[in-house]
Amino acid sequence: MTATASTASPVPATADVRPVDTTARGALLLQLTFALLWLLAGGTFALIHSIQLHTPLFFADFSWFTFGRVQAVMETSLLYGWVANAGFAASLWLLGRLGGAPARGVGLTVVATVFWNIGVALAVILLIAGNLTGNALVQLPLGSLPLLLISSAIAASSAVYAWADRRNRETYATQWYAALASFVLPWFLSVALTMLALAPDHGVAETVAATWTGQGLLLLWLAPLALAALYYLYPKATGREVPCYSLAKAGFWLLVVFGPWAGTRELVGGPFPAWIPALGVAASIVLLVHYAIIAVNLGPVIGQFFGRSNALRFGALSVFFYLVLGVAGLVCSLFPLVPWLQFTYVSEARTLLMILGVFAPAMFAAIYFLVPRATGKPWAAQGLITQHFRFWALGVLLIAVGFVGAGLQQSTLFFAPNIQFTQIDPTLKVWLLLTSAGLGLQLIGTVFLLVNLGYQIAPGASTLEGGNS
Amino acid sequence: MKNGALFFLGVFGAIALSWGGVVLASSHQISKIQPYYDTLESQFYPYKQAGIAAEGEQVYKSMGCAACHTQEVRRPGLGYDDLRGWGKRQSVARDYIYESTPPLGELRRGPDLTNFGPRAVKLGLDETHLLTQLYLGSAGMPPYRFLFERQKVIGEPLSTALPINAGPGYQIIPSYHAKALVAYLLSLKQDYVYPEAQPLEPAKEGTN
Repeated sequence: MTATASTASPVPATADVRPVDTTARGALLLQLTFALLWLLAGGTFALIHSIQLHTPLFFADFSWFTFGRVQAVMETSLLYGWVANAGFAASLWLLGRLGGAPARGVGLTVVATVFWNIGVALAVILLIAGNLTGNALVQLPLGSLPLLLISSAIAASSAVYAWADRRNRETYATQWYAALASFVLPWFLSVALTMLALAPDHGVAETVAATWTGQGLLLLWLAPLALAALYYLYPKATGREVPCYSLAKAGFWLLVVFGPWAGTRELVGGPFPAWIPALGVAASIVLLVHYAIIAVNLGPVIGQFFGRSNALRFGALSVFFYLVLGVAGLVCSLFPLVPWLQFTYVSEARTLLMILGVFAPAMFAAIYFLVPRATGKPWAAQGLITQHFRFWALGVLLIAVGFVGAGLQQSTLFFAPNIQFTQIDPTLKVWLLLTSAGLGLQLIGTVFLLVNLGYQIAPGASTLEGGNS
Repeated sequence: MKNGALFFLGVFGAIALSWGGVVLASSHQISKIQPYYDTLESQFYPYKQAGIAAEGEQVYKSMGCAACHTQEVRRPGLGYDDLRGWGKRQSVARDYIYESTPPLGELRRGPDLTNFGPRAVKLGLDETHLLTQLYLGSAGMPPYRFLFERQKVIGEPLSTALPINAGPGYQIIPSYHAKALVAYLLSLKQDYVYPEAQPLEPAKEGTN
C-alpha cells in the first residue's frame, strides 16, 4: 500500500469499511473491552501505588497491598492486560484492513483472548498473594506463564493469517510493525518461561536475561504496536502522505536489529561484566537514527496537538513521548548522568510513560478511528472524546512533571550525606501529589472512553446492517 | 517489502542474534565465576545464606522490599554510595553467585541494604530494635504490622514481646516471618574485597 490518504470522518462511509471490520468485529470489540477494563484496573493500582509514594500508610495494614506487590500488579495489569489486549486488537485490525481480506481464525482468536485474560487474572492473584519474581516488567509468576504463552501464540494467529492473506504483496510500515509485535510477544514469553521461571540462571546472569526480556518487550512489542497505529493513522487523518516515507524501512530495521541489544543499558554501573551495559549504550546510540527517522516520518503530527482532530491530538502526544523517551533511554545511561538519575523516580517515570504516554494515546487514536468502522455507528458522545483527550493529556503531563521533578530533587539530596536518607522521600510530597493527580485524571478519562465503547457495543442501528462486506 | 518469509527470517535472525549475544554469552561468562578461596583465611567467599536468613530472603522478595531498596553498591566516584557509607567497594557479579534472582532493585526510596549487617552493628541496632522499627515504621517507610501478632498477656509477657506499649494486658509478638526477615537483613554484607572488586585509584589531576 502507498501512504495515501482518505480523510477521517466521525461517521464511516460504507466505502471505508473493509472485510475485516465485519468479519472480526466481535473479536475486536471483545479484545478492546478486556483492554479497557484492564486499563481501569491497572490505572487504579497505579493510583494506589502513587498514593503510597507520598502517603506510605495508605493500605499499610494489608499484606496484599505492600508497595512492592502493588507495583508488580500495576505493571502486570497495564502491560499484559491493557497493552496485550489492545495490541491483539490493533494487530488484527490494522493487518486486516491493509491486507484487504476477510479475517480468518477469528473463533480461535476469541478463545485464546479469553484464556489470555484468565492467565493475566491468575498472574495478578498470584502476585497479590506474594509470588513476586522480582524481574522488572516480567513479573509474571510461573503458574500463569504456560497459559499466557500458549494463548498469546494462538491469539496472534489471526494476525498471521491477515499478513499471509494480504491482497497486495507489497507491505506498508504499519504491517511490519504489527507483524513484529505479534511475533515478539510469544517469543519473549517463551524466554520468560524457560530462562526466568523454569530454569533460572543463578546470580546476576538472571538479571541480564530479565532485563533483555523486559526491555525487549518495551522496545520490540509495545513501541511497534504504537508505531503501527501511528503510521496507519497519519495519512488517514491528515490527508497527507507520510513525509520521506522511503526512510521508514530503515527505521524499522534499525529498531529490529539494534533494539534487542539496547535494553542492557539499564544495567550500567551494576555488578555485571562491563561489556554488557556497554553494548546496551552503544546500541542505544545507533537507535537514535531510528528515532530521527520516526521524527521525520511522524514528527509533523506533533503540531496537531492543539488541532481539531482527536485522533491526531492523541497521535501527537504519542509521537512526542516516543521521541522524548527514546532519547531519555540513552541519556539516563550515560556516565555523567548515571549517578544523578539512576535509582530515582526518573526511571520509574520512563516505564510508566511508555505505557501511558506512548502506547495508550496511539491506541486511543486507533480506537476512535476504527471502532465506528467496525460497528457502523458513530460515537455516541463526541464531547466525551474531547474530554477524554484533555484529561489524558493533562494526566500524562502531570505524571511526567511529578516524577521528573521528584527524581531530580531526590538526586540532589542523595548527594548530601548530612541529610538522613529516610528523610528524603517525605520532602518530595508535592511532586508525587502531582503524579497521583495525573493518574486520577487518566482514570476518569478511561471511564469516558468506556462509556462511549459501551454504546458502540450495545445493540442498535448500524449502517453496516444488510451485509455490505 | 514483499517477501514474507524473508521478512520473518530477518526479524527472527536479528532477535536471535541478540539473544545469543546478550543472554547466552553473559550466562556463559557469569556461570563460570567460582567462589574465591582466601588462602590466608582458608575460607571461601562469598558466604551462602543459610537457615533462617535464607527464609528471610524469601520474605524480603515476597513482600516486594526490592521496590524501594537496592542491593548493589556502585564504585566509589560513581554516585554517592560510598559517601553514604553503603560500601567501600563496588558490588561485583561474584557477590551474587549463590543467589537466584538477586534483589538488586531499581529505585532508592529507602537506603541501599547491601551491607546492612555491618552497618546495623555499627549503629547498635539489634534484632529487637529492627523488629520494633518494622512494626512501627519510620519516616517514609510503612509499618509491617501484619507480620506481628497482638496477643493477650497471660501471666508474664513473653520474652519475644516487643518493648512497646500494646495497650493494657496486651503484647506484640513478632511472627516467624518477621524474625526471618530481620535475620536476613542482619546477614547482608559484601565486605570481602575480591581482586576484581578493588576500588580503582582515582586518576590524579593533570594525568588524565
